[in-house]
Amino acid sequence: MTRLVVVLLAGAVAIQAANISGKVSAGKGSSVVYVDAIAGKTFPAPTKNYVMDQKQLLFVPHILVVQVGTTVEFLNSDKVAHNIFWPNIGGNKKLTHNLGTWPTGQKRDFKFDNPGVVPLLCNVHPEMSGFVIVSPTPYFAETDADGSFKIADVPAGSYTVVAWHEGSKTQSKPVTVGGDVTVDFALSK
Amino acid sequence: MIPASILITPLFLSSISIKSYAIPAFSRQYGTSCTTCHLDFPKLNDFGKAFKEAGFKFPKDDETFIKNPPVMLGAPAQKEVWPHSVWPGTIPGMPQIGLRMNNFFQYTTGPLSRFNSLAQAQGNVPQLIPTTDFETGFFSIFTAGNFGGGIAFWADDDISVSGDNSAGALGDGYLKFVDLGRLIKLPTDSLSVRVGQFELDLPFTQARSINISPYDIYSQANIGAINSMVGLQQNVANQFSFADAGKGIEISGGHTYGGYHYSVAVIDQNTSGIDQAANASPFVGSATGSANGGVGFASDSSTKDVYARFAYRFNLERDPESRHAVQAAGTTGPHDHTYLSLGTYYYHGNSQQGLLGVNAGGSQQVLYAREPFYRAGGDFSFNYRTFNLYGLYMFARDNNLLPVDANGVLIPLPLSPASPPPAGFITSVPAKFNGGFVQADYLVLPWIMAIARWDGVNSTADRINGLDLLPGTPYFGPFRSTRNRFTPGIQFLIRPNVKASFEYQIRPQQSVMAVTNPANGATQALNPFRVNTLVFALEFVY
Repeated sequence: MTRLVVVLLAGAVAIQAANISGKVSAGKGSSVVYVDAIAGKTFPAPTKNYVMDQKQLLFVPHILVVQVGTTVEFLNSDKVAHNIFWPNIGGNKKLTHNLGTWPTGQKRDFKFDNPGVVPLLCNVHPEMSGFVIVSPTPYFAETDADGSFKIADVPAGSYTVVAWHEGSKTQSKPVTVGGDVTVDFALSK
Repeated sequence: MIPASILITPLFLSSISIKSYAIPAFSRQYGTSCTTCHLDFPKLNDFGKAFKEAGFKFPKDDETFIKNPPVMLGAPAQKEVWPHSVWPGTIPGMPQIGLRMNNFFQYTTGPLSRFNSLAQAQGNVPQLIPTTDFETGFFSIFTAGNFGGGIAFWADDDISVSGDNSAGALGDGYLKFVDLGRLIKLPTDSLSVRVGQFELDLPFTQARSINISPYDIYSQANIGAINSMVGLQQNVANQFSFADAGKGIEISGGHTYGGYHYSVAVIDQNTSGIDQAANASPFVGSATGSANGGVGFASDSSTKDVYARFAYRFNLERDPESRHAVQAAGTTGPHDHTYLSLGTYYYHGNSQQGLLGVNAGGSQQVLYAREPFYRAGGDFSFNYRTFNLYGLYMFARDNNLLPVDANGVLIPLPLSPASPPPAGFITSVPAKFNGGFVQADYLVLPWIMAIARWDGVNSTADRINGLDLLPGTPYFGPFRSTRNRFTPGIQFLIRPNVKASFEYQIRPQQSVMAVTNPANGATQALNPFRVNTLVFALEFVY
């Protein structure tokens, strides 16, 4: 199921805004496409929090895409003890963090101020794996079952669009938005 | 006379008799890693202990974790119809089967000639103990799970064995009725019942030990001293050892991951120490049909042995919630508790020996010496994070009934066809031994376990039986009544289910060479030597 997140900027002018759509060819599971950081441009942090659950020894959802500055609530819905940590953010090992452990039904919040891929792990159940993809811009989308995506309402301009898929090499492509534009990715391991 | 080889060779032959299990079937059922329950398989972490004691289930909300739903053997609503229906149960959605294979390589120190001499029996070609040896271990199949409603099961079997020390066939096979006490409103988990063949509730398991070699004290049988060189005569031949599985019934309660834990088992007395498959009377049909070609009786005695254990584990976290949880909470994730566990155990039985003798009227009859024996001891375990120090002490005592003839005169041992027929028994000096072990496990990294262990067994009878200067050889053995063994080891989890293990077994001063002193012509002991063994094991489960 396609999950499309659109964030409209306060005061942004809809004129010339367009969609970036396309298809990501990769392995099983969904991919994430986002507009990379725009030089000289910042975006207000979202006020809405998102939830990453631990349920039945799984991270739910498996992939969560958020804008940088978003607070994610990590919930433990299992009747067993869990832990959450990540060894890096976007490959930067200095950003490793361990959230510890907390009882069933409770949450622990974390605000992601650094963009990048956050590989979630549980040191009690090493088979558990999840991802928070922290997009540097509010322009991002997760692909649907057939790999299609659409990032809506992107202002006109030139950008770098990044495609990520679990276990594949990340790919970037330049895109110029003047009207609707299509860009496809073929990711390989 | 018991030759020295009987006492010495088990040191080698028992060096790779591990029989341990992790249950990959549970990984499949729950979609989780081995390390959810094991520190360094098959050693259980606190969660693994809780999982096992709950009847191979998650302690809470088990059904929500199962990735392969169980098959219903009746709708839950059938319970309302009972007793006019069979109480509904479940079976695992896929067969809970695990498989295990291991291989060994060992290097044994010491000159070959010494082994040759020590191992030979008079008139036989000496046994060669090679310096290096590759050995395939065994291929095992095991299954365990839960039938719903607190009925758990376990069965393991070595279906392919090799090596002198391996014993095939069934290991453990039992049904366990978990928390049966709830039916009579006892506190939760205060009464469970296990029936079948099982390893006794030992303070530290042998069946699920991470060590390549077994604990020496667990393998120690009590064989009385019979040696013409020494006056002490003991008619004790009790093959029972703690490493043996028992057949019977056990009640237990409490938890091994915190608080009290107890168990009481009543099991078959089996003095011979072997399965009594040949004990098939043509006159008495056993439950398994001996008179009709069945397997006969499992025991060679009419008495039952009793084993009891009590332990208390103090979890030492300050936070009460953490202290009473299955696992302790930590700043970087849950982990095993810091704890101190103290326990005691007691085993009582009647070792039985049958002798062909005479009764008061002089008629031939079988005389049974039923020698009460016990094993008793205590144990401790201290754990701090990934460091675990634990140990056990055992004292063993067997009554010693010596055969006497019709005139009440002692019959010299061992009995021979020329001996007068026994007519009765008198009590003599008991056969005793004691010993134990202390072990430290340190999980250096989640995939590296460092081990240091000391085993000690003090048996005067063993030493006396070993004082046998074999004809044509200059070797005595063993040197002392106490056999010490130091065993440093290290284990690597190459994968969660693949492990490489190393042990170096150091045995100080086991045997001595007897030489003639040229100055006075007297025989004297000289040149004590050690038999050390490096063992490497590679195993996998899936």
